[in-house]
Amino acid sequence: MPTSYYLTLSFVLFLVGTGGVLLRRNALIVLMGIELQLNAGNLALLAFSRALGDQKGHAFAFVIIALAAAEAAVGLAILVALFRSRQTINLDEASLMKR
Amino acid sequence: MPLTESAATFWDQITFWILAACVIGGALFTMTRRNPVTAVMSLVGTFFALAATYATLSAHFLAVIQILVYAGAIMVLFIFVVMILNREEVAPVALRGLGARILGLVAGLYLVFVFARVVHLGAEASVPVPSETFGTVASIGDILFRDFLYPFEAISLLLLVAVVGGVVISRSHKKEVAAEQAAERRKIIEQLAHADFPALSDLAGDGDAHGGAGGHH
Repeated sequence: MPTSYYLTLSFVLFLVGTGGVLLRRNALIVLMGIELQLNAGNLALLAFSRALGDQKGHAFAFVIIALAAAEAAVGLAILVALFRSRQTINLDEASLMKR
Repeated sequence: MPLTESAATFWDQITFWILAACVIGGALFTMTRRNPVTAVMSLVGTFFALAATYATLSAHFLAVIQILVYAGAIMVLFIFVVMILNREEVAPVALRGLGARILGLVAGLYLVFVFARVVHLGAEASVPVPSETFGTVASIGDILFRDFLYPFEAISLLLLVAVVGGVVISRSHKKEVAAEQAAERRKIIEQLAHADFPALSDLAGDGDAHGGAGGHH
């Protein structure tokens, strides 16, 4: 398949993830949207890696997967702490530092 | 285009379109669910389809890692947290204010523009037939431990910090607060005891010679 097909798939996936991050209020769904965005980036990296015949993109994708794992761990811990102190995971209500 | 794209057979295309439909459909399903458990489950399906897509890009090692790390580890973590704090949203979608909408529209259009240019570049590039070892564990390991050794070690540090941070942030502080209060109470009691002792001795022996020694306590 041409690289552009994979890149387009990656772009649509990134758009869906971005829509979730920007539009949803449930912090869990927002974290899932961030995971989708990271995976879209991985897909683009692997597509370019395949197109250029260079495996460095695979190493980058590996690093990004580890990063996503760390992000999920810390993000979910923050959610648990937020829920403990506020009894909510609605992002609109976590606005103490905005006021 | 030289010799490359003729290699995309009919079945390659069928596979790609099925996988693409699974990925996009699963992602849309994930982002539109109200119930977080359903969202997590469809996200697992999305990640499986993505792993298969990676495999069609001859990234076999990363396909396996994707399933192990995402579908295995991260999603289990998500499920745990969903079970801990399962709350329905009152109003799921948030986008208020004309300014925010216009800004979002402009940013989205810019994203589409940039991406169209990138896809255009990708369409012009010719795809070489990959070598035999492309994407295998051996060759990825070779790159990872030769060219990317320091980033690899930095990942381990990052994961350690993330683990410690996750534990510290999500830990319950009730026990610590209770221990602190108990320690404070103990301190007050000790102070009271030390303060009371010379006063008692003063009361007991008013004109004694021990009164001076008691003052040193």
